[in-house]
Amino acid sequence: MPQNDRALLRRLKDHGVEFVVIGGVCGVLHGVPLVTFDLDVCCPFSVENLRRIESAVKDLHPRHRLVASPLPLQLTDELCTRLKNLYLQTDFGKLDCLSEVAGVGDYPAVWKNSVTCGTDRGVRMLSLEALIAAKRAAGRERDLAAVRLLRAIQEKLGQKDRASKPEL
Amino acid sequence: MIDEETLAQINGRYVMPPDAGPAWQAASEYGFDMSLVENSLTLTPEERLAEHQRVLDMLLDLNPDLNFDAPE
Repeated sequence: MPQNDRALLRRLKDHGVEFVVIGGVCGVLHGVPLVTFDLDVCCPFSVENLRRIESAVKDLHPRHRLVASPLPLQLTDELCTRLKNLYLQTDFGKLDCLSEVAGVGDYPAVWKNSVTCGTDRGVRMLSLEALIAAKRAAGRERDLAAVRLLRAIQEKLGQKDRASKPEL
Repeated sequence: MIDEETLAQINGRYVMPPDAGPAWQAASEYGFDMSLVENSLTLTPEERLAEHQRVLDMLLDLNPDLNFDAPE
């Protein structure tokens, strides 16, 4: 199944889903030249927001991708109150929805540590600093490798910021 | 006449920019191709996403088995 992050992001925005891009795609948006094979977002796990996610992907054959037997996404209000994460496979690829991010916190904390990413639809993503904290907290080898690149980018952008500010 | 420095660059040796800080140097020494990062930083986030999509499509076209199931 081809992964189409742009199309998934468009779907989420068009259906009014509240979310912040985290994970590998967030790194890509910040300038990390590493390939990632899913789209991770953090979002409020309210019934309303989860229903919007369901609506956004309903014609993309969404199913829970980490369960042993194929299980289509069919939310009920009762199920929504018990969910913490949603790992979905869709016709546009993998979409992982998390209610919190290790190293950053729950959705309000994630939102507070997010920035608009400059795409035409005003998608929000974790700030560089928060993404570094999240990757450090994840602690896997590939996450820590990504931290090296993120810190280099942070350093480079810091130099640019300093250079663009007039001296007092 | 191409000098040795230019020749080395033509042959692919990455030249650390003069303003490279310790984090940049550490990432380079770790083995990352920092010229890719430099190039990426010249793009807008939208362009980075498009470039990522292009690479992703190519990789999955070459090897669909790359589509891992493990969550990030």
